[in-house]
Amino acid sequence: MGTFYTTLKYTAVTIWSMFVIAPFLWALSTSFKDFNSVTSGATYIPWVDFEPTLEGWRVLLRSPAQGGVNIVEPYLNSIFVTCLASFISILLGTLAAYALSRYTFKAGFIKNDDITFFFISQRIMPPVVLAIPFFIMLGKLGLLDTLLGLVMVYVVLLMPIAVWIMVDFFNKVPVEIDETALIDGCNPIQAFFKVVLPNSIPGMVVAGLFCMIFGWTDFFFAFILTFTEVQLLPVAIVSLNSSITPWWSLSAAALVSVAPLIVVAFIVERYLSKGNLSGALK
Amino acid sequence: MTLIASNLTTKGKEEFFLNDISFEMSPGKIYTIIGRTLSGKTTLLKTIAGLIAQDSGTLSFNGNNFDVIPVWKRQVAMVYQQFINYPHLNVYDNIAFPLKQRKVDLAEIKDRVKQAIEQVGLEGFEERKIQALSGGQQQRVALARSLVKNANILLLDEPLVNLDYKLREQLREEFKKIFSSKASEEAILIYSTTDPIEAMQLGGEVIVMDEGKILQQGSAKEIYENPRSTKVAEITNDPAMNLFDGEINGKKITLNNEVILNIPKHFKDLPDGKYSFGIRASGVTLDKSGFPFQIELAEISGSETFLHLNNDQIHVVGLLDAVKNFNIGETVKVSFDIEKLYAFGSDGILMSSPYSGTK
Amino acid sequence: MAQIKLQNIAHSYNPNSVDSKYALKPFDMTWVDGGRYAILGPSGCGKSTMLNIMSGIVKPSEGRLLFDGVDVTDETTSDRNIAQVFQFPVIYGTMTVHDNLAFPLVCRGYDKSFIESKVNEVAEALSLEGLLSQSARKLTADQKQLISLGRGLVRDNVAAILMDEPLTVIDPDLKFRLRRKLKEINQKYQSTLIYVTHDQNEAMTFAENIIVMDDGEIVQVGSPAELFDRPRTTFVGYFIGAPAMNLFECDVVDSNSIKFGSEKISTETDLKSVNGENIKLGIRAEYVQLMKSSAKNTVQAKVESVDDWGNHKLISANFEGNIIKVKVKREVEVPAENVYLRFPTNNCCIYENEILVP
Repeated sequence: MGTFYTTLKYTAVTIWSMFVIAPFLWALSTSFKDFNSVTSGATYIPWVDFEPTLEGWRVLLRSPAQGGVNIVEPYLNSIFVTCLASFISILLGTLAAYALSRYTFKAGFIKNDDITFFFISQRIMPPVVLAIPFFIMLGKLGLLDTLLGLVMVYVVLLMPIAVWIMVDFFNKVPVEIDETALIDGCNPIQAFFKVVLPNSIPGMVVAGLFCMIFGWTDFFFAFILTFTEVQLLPVAIVSLNSSITPWWSLSAAALVSVAPLIVVAFIVERYLSKGNLSGALK
Repeated sequence: MTLIASNLTTKGKEEFFLNDISFEMSPGKIYTIIGRTLSGKTTLLKTIAGLIAQDSGTLSFNGNNFDVIPVWKRQVAMVYQQFINYPHLNVYDNIAFPLKQRKVDLAEIKDRVKQAIEQVGLEGFEERKIQALSGGQQQRVALARSLVKNANILLLDEPLVNLDYKLREQLREEFKKIFSSKASEEAILIYSTTDPIEAMQLGGEVIVMDEGKILQQGSAKEIYENPRSTKVAEITNDPAMNLFDGEINGKKITLNNEVILNIPKHFKDLPDGKYSFGIRASGVTLDKSGFPFQIELAEISGSETFLHLNNDQIHVVGLLDAVKNFNIGETVKVSFDIEKLYAFGSDGILMSSPYSGTK
Repeated sequence: MAQIKLQNIAHSYNPNSVDSKYALKPFDMTWVDGGRYAILGPSGCGKSTMLNIMSGIVKPSEGRLLFDGVDVTDETTSDRNIAQVFQFPVIYGTMTVHDNLAFPLVCRGYDKSFIESKVNEVAEALSLEGLLSQSARKLTADQKQLISLGRGLVRDNVAAILMDEPLTVIDPDLKFRLRRKLKEINQKYQSTLIYVTHDQNEAMTFAENIIVMDDGEIVQVGSPAELFDRPRTTFVGYFIGAPAMNLFECDVVDSNSIKFGSEKISTETDLKSVNGENIKLGIRAEYVQLMKSSAKNTVQAKVESVDDWGNHKLISANFEGNIIKVKVKREVEVPAENVYLRFPTNNCCIYENEILVP
């Protein structure tokens, strides 16, 4: 009985893992193929089904003058914009969320819950609606086609996520912990930094992960708000495409772009399960 | 160093959290606030701590206006009924936190933390994480943190309610010892509870609260012997005092048109008329020549048995000084000890108690 | 309804590790059909583990579990016909009280008229008739807990109703009402009730038989009176009763008396076979008698404190360094200095290595 269930369990997990891993493996093998190996029917195993080549990867490093699309600079741009925007979002979002969780705000019929909803409602709006206002605003500020302009736009997009996650997190932290800190001689600002913040790291890590995923994968605003000076990774990858679809270099670029998220996810997962910090505050 | 509250009032949407609270508390004493849940105990403690601002009324401490001093500058300490500690710090750092915050020098912090750890019996746990402690140990840490700063006012909000029964009993004894040394050091100790026995056992000054109001203040003995009103009698007795509508008519007392008793000596000054009469379970005993009642439930407690009894009109709790099993519905004869009878006016205010003479 | 038998049951949460420690040490136990039991002990003593083994939430690492002689050790919770009530009421908030009670029967596909009669019967027994059409979410905590219980009662084939500290979230005033209902239900349906608690008062008031547990072991099974009068170990003496039993070190003098300090105290216990080192005298604070003058079995002690407990007074008296606690009625006058305390021979329990000498 027991072994039967164990077998069943492992079989299910194996099948599921194959579903998840298969696209990656497919992309990996495609990235080493040339035109013929891609177009002449499905091929699977290198050296047996097809002769591997590094051409797909080389294109990514070659300058446009040499007939390539250099993704190194867009890559670094993306890292810069995503990290800075996430950092600012978490910083402001955590402060906003703490205030929303601990203090009562009231302006007419608008109360704390409405303000929280107002934040998240920014994400309900289709991005297209925001495109033109953003374009005009950045234009007036002279920030079109700059990294700083992109960072500002991404903060607007990411902060609601941070606020939403952190409000929920703070609501689960007993307010008596803050009060105890006050009684123990902290003023409200010290209480926040010495007691509340150190205990909020798990929530901030989760919020940070979401911000990074959304920031990193955005194509729409990166495409509209930049032209020639700066380029972000998703836009660079799309520009790889030409009349003959270069599946090999697209696959290579896809793998490279997904890599940092996988690394971050693993670190976060490790961190959350090891410290079991989410359970520390009951 | 007295704490004086005058006319503290805090109003919620409809109900009062605090309703015209006035008192004077002096150092070296334990004040036990007893009241049911939502009676305003926690609100009062938090107001004293400065965590909640009252709508009106003033607090003064040591002759100074307390209201203008923010929480973090008041010399108060508080222990909550939930086990509240700083989860990111170990036991030592938790207890040292208030001292570090006040920039006490490191050698002194070490001494005082060590002393506090000894007081609450947590030696050897200094490096432990809070999450690795049992509930009782966590509450000891919270207590140590409140003792270590030698606060002028120590607030304990039902600190034992979430602990195992026997642990509660044991900690209560320990608390009492710690407090008696602490109290002599010029601190005001305020302890809130819902449990009458706990209030009695702590043995300090008792303050009875209900619906945001102070109903009575006095020694535990005073409140046991002369509860000012029917409400106080209900709150401060476990099981709650039996209360009946009834009347005095000449030499007789009639309870709920049902039970007729002789009038006890201490009622001799009461005029005829309608009253509420009260008697504790210990005044209602089995007696072959008594009134017939059905057993609703018999519950054994140590060497005694509480009898929940009823007949058509009256529900009453009696006490049998032995352990005995009864069937539900069984008929027994019960007598009321008239020497233990209380009389309250129609407004619920105490008119006569068995202890009137000894007042 | 069934007789439940635990045969050589034991449990360890990690049986394969080297230092595997029993959460529940091997034991045998039979629960009589229709009995009212309480499992009592401090947190971490294994009482919830025992309950969860019976309900099937935990599979014991050793031993068998029999319901009316049928081995159910490997059966799942749902196949065992067990009703369970937890610390926090479990109700379906979106349903009415009626639908909550009917749910277990609806799920099992009973026909409509049967369900109706059963729900009405149980609602009446629990005094929930007036609330049947109300939404369950709006009820008070004790009413919700009654519904949790009622969902167990509608199934007439339940072997036992297991309860894990069901009164924790109930207001003190209402606890009494719920306890009374439980007893009525037990009398009416003759269903076995097993109740886990850390509160000795609750166990005493509720159960016919109390199973006292400590550190994964059953230390005593008995009626409330037995546990109070003749605790089998010093732990039971400490755990049951408020205050805890008085326990003093002493030496055996002859077959029915011991030396407590400088006084000789006789007991009804036969001490012939006792010759160990660690001998203790145990006596309840309720049974120590306050005497006017010296008499047999009496010690003279100095009053250290008298605590006012309302209906009682608790005297702490010092006899040659031993603190004797005495619980007397409020009316009793306590001398200010010296008291004579008599230890009735039938109330003196003698413990050898913390175990009661029978």
